[in-house]
Amino acid sequence: MAPFEVHWDPFDPADPGPCLKVIVMNAYDYIEAGRAIGLEYPEPHPITALIDTGSPFTIISKTFAKNWKLVQTGARSPIRTMGGDCLCDEYSGSMSFPGSELPPIRTLRIRSADFNREPFYSCLIGRDILKNWDIRFDGRARCMTITT
Amino acid sequence: MALAAPLEMELQVFEEYRQKWSLKHLGEYVVIQDGRVLDQFFDSYEDAFRAGLREFGVSRNFLVKQIWITEPVYFVA
Repeated sequence: MAPFEVHWDPFDPADPGPCLKVIVMNAYDYIEAGRAIGLEYPEPHPITALIDTGSPFTIISKTFAKNWKLVQTGARSPIRTMGGDCLCDEYSGSMSFPGSELPPIRTLRIRSADFNREPFYSCLIGRDILKNWDIRFDGRARCMTITT
Repeated sequence: MALAAPLEMELQVFEEYRQKWSLKHLGEYVVIQDGRVLDQFFDSYEDAFRAGLREFGVSRNFLVKQIWITEPVYFVA
């Protein structure tokens, strides 16, 4: 697999962080089972996700989780952030990485939260995904390289 | 009439059994829809979700919950 490179300038305060495009949708076998009985699911489209080593798990915007009809598998799970405590719903989905050769994740537990006032990204890629990747950051080149 | 929150009944069932399950199945996953609990516990979320999909299908949500004595609060930075 070719390494995937992400530009990130941590020395620029306006840089939101290392971001990449992801496609989040229901798990493949879930969609297959749904279509077999005539259910329809929205066409997925890429959203921007931040690589966040500070998050133990992957979180997407509550709005996207609902619009994409992700199957809900949990509710009111507490998380603590710098801004205070909040309760998250949980969904099951799959995640792929368009424009890269990073292998898709077929089934993933995804938390949802409000991404209000966050203009740059609507998903956090947490350590539940990062544990599968080898990530290196070259500060001089302002470049992050991901391999699996 | 107010609508019940998603998975409200499933979470009630989970809370009823949490102490009992935590004695033998700590850290494992359980799958619940309405009052029905799958009679198997799972080591991973993925396995639990697939079992729920097989058993309950795609028509309604089902709860996939990891068993801890108290609910963990994870820190997101």
